[in-house]
Amino acid sequence: MTDLSRRALASCLGWLLLVCLSGAARAVVADDPLDAVAEGLRPSLIEDIGQALAGAQTLHERLSAHDIEGARKAWIAARIGWERAEVFTGGFVPDLDEKIDSWPNARTGFHAIEARLFSAEEADMAPEANTLVFYLTDLTIKVRDAPLNAQRVLAGTTRLAYEVGEDKADGGESRFSGTSLDDMRNNLIGIQSAYDIVFAGAVAHADAALDKTIRAQIGELKTLLQAPDLKTIDSSRLRAVSEALVLSLRTAAPKVGLIAPTLEQLSQ
Amino acid sequence: MIARAALFVAVALALAVPAAQAFPVIGNHAVLPAGTELGEDALQLPRELFKTDAAGGSRSYLVNLGDLAFSSPSLLGGAAAQAGISCDTCHVNGTTNPRLFIPGLSTHPGNFDTTGALFNPKADDAVLDPFTTPSLRGARYLAPYGHDGRSTSLRDFVRNVIVNEFAGPEPSPAILDAMVVYIDDIDFLPNPGLAAGGRLAAGASEAERRGEALFAKPFPRDPQLSCAGCHNPTAAFVDHRQHDVGSGGLFKTPTLLDANFNAPYFHDGRYDSYEKVVAHFDRVFDLALSPTDRQDLVAYLTAVGDGEKPYVSDGVAPRLDEIAHFSSVLDTAIPAHDRAVIALAVDTVGGDLREFTEMFPDRKDGTVSGGKAERARARAALEELVLTLRAIDNAATAGQFDEAGAQYDAYRRQTAVLAPVLTAAVPWSLFDPAVHDAHYGALRQMKQAATKPTP
Repeated sequence: MTDLSRRALASCLGWLLLVCLSGAARAVVADDPLDAVAEGLRPSLIEDIGQALAGAQTLHERLSAHDIEGARKAWIAARIGWERAEVFTGGFVPDLDEKIDSWPNARTGFHAIEARLFSAEEADMAPEANTLVFYLTDLTIKVRDAPLNAQRVLAGTTRLAYEVGEDKADGGESRFSGTSLDDMRNNLIGIQSAYDIVFAGAVAHADAALDKTIRAQIGELKTLLQAPDLKTIDSSRLRAVSEALVLSLRTAAPKVGLIAPTLEQLSQ
Repeated sequence: MIARAALFVAVALALAVPAAQAFPVIGNHAVLPAGTELGEDALQLPRELFKTDAAGGSRSYLVNLGDLAFSSPSLLGGAAAQAGISCDTCHVNGTTNPRLFIPGLSTHPGNFDTTGALFNPKADDAVLDPFTTPSLRGARYLAPYGHDGRSTSLRDFVRNVIVNEFAGPEPSPAILDAMVVYIDDIDFLPNPGLAAGGRLAAGASEAERRGEALFAKPFPRDPQLSCAGCHNPTAAFVDHRQHDVGSGGLFKTPTLLDANFNAPYFHDGRYDSYEKVVAHFDRVFDLALSPTDRQDLVAYLTAVGDGEKPYVSDGVAPRLDEIAHFSSVLDTAIPAHDRAVIALAVDTVGGDLREFTEMFPDRKDGTVSGGKAERARARAALEELVLTLRAIDNAATAGQFDEAGAQYDAYRRQTAVLAPVLTAAVPWSLFDPAVHDAHYGALRQMKQAATKPTP
């Protein structure tokens, strides 16, 4: 089964669960039926964070073997899973998020390794990679245990939708590896997963037109991010659509029994 | 890397802390070449003075619209728009940008070639001939326009820069008119050292007085010439004509007013001090100046080129003031159903607000340890404004101008309570010099880590 079809199946099962949980069962299983639906997101989060961990382990191994090219590939592979899981990491595990993805003065995490790894011919970064493995291992435990609250998932999704529209003219967050555009694409995959699995069914039930709008906005962001590189991306349109998506998600929130999130509530 | 030289000179100029937020560009994945320096991290900015402000009036819709367009990357095209460059990037607050350096297009900090391939391949003349970006203070007195004085019309000149040099879309007549009104409203800084007719005021030093006399004295070998003959003190120190002063062609006489803040000098920025400028004229026109003569001329030029409060600190108040002026075009544009101006305002002000947000580092920026809640509140308040602006544009695009007006009312309510929230977070913001240094120091370390040879 492909990655996309697995995510689509999770979406269908999630919505089915929501319908079943409506009514008397809701108070027993969760405070909000959408919290139960949010559980459907867990498998893809586990998979994404597992991919990040596997990448980091390979990174450590390649660095120990002084294989810089292999280490670079492993770093990039690890970022894929990490960026897809950002709808979760910011809201549910902020401390680990700060350790793994700190910027610009990264003493630990991805960016502590990136600048030297992608610029030097040889570098002793195995200890940093080992630390990254340690934190990502912790994260794989937490993603299995953390109660998935729909309100927080919405906050993380909304926050990430806004970040996709940030100016990347300077090369973006991953400017040494040159993978900032991939970061954004993977962010969007995470956003789409969260929307499809947790919210789409409820939104479509409450307001089919709004669901269509949100899907169209996600689709347009995907199209914009198909640009070959950061230099050719339509940054003005990207920002406009990302902000419009945030507004749409906030409009959707009360329609599905949630509170419209502010963008910084995860920090407060 | 060439940027090292740029950064070094930037330090010497001491206009700002040498560092990089977005710039100097590092890595090869940015729109602008690695090593580009735009000086966007400056904590001190040139003071912008408007004629209407000085007269006690409020800036007109056209001044604000022109200022907005001047600050909008969307006005330009191609790489400039992609890189977020606007007219204001090079003419910072309507003045110059002595730190500007673009590898391949610049030969010296403060200049760059507008006819290179980067910004408009069609304009590429295959010759590296960079020019400085002149200050626009007092531009209404300084026709013709362009270093070579090619255009007597400021409007035509502005259009040429947008369309031909920066590959921008054809601007509307209304936007061009507004930009001319804006540029014409930028004043010189007051200079108490000058009296009527451009003469030195009482209190000038002996050296300055001697310099003033030398300035008006006919050249020994060309008695029909003098410094003051072209730099006419009674006419803003210009004569509106082009001359060959041995710098490689015909160039118009630049004003000397505010010139202390306009280095580097000459059309290509080849000289970074008055001493070098005076030495050039001494050499080319065989003036036989003594060392004292040179010092006196430098003293005079420094007195003429001075101005009150040339710089202001970047901070919450000036940014909010600028955003208020930019946003005010919506007072007119929404009732007029002017979708183009609404879109321009939303795009430009929204972009500025996003940049403003980044002055309050988020929780992942480990260079800042305190004020997490204050920073988050400041960021949230600014982000809400961005989103409300977007709601205005969405409504206008849908033809729902009543809704756009209602959203604009909400925007104004949000801005009315913004200042205290932002001010509370200033100690942990990039407006604070210590936080600023720590943040940019970390970026420099990243850059060094990327370039440092490993054992």
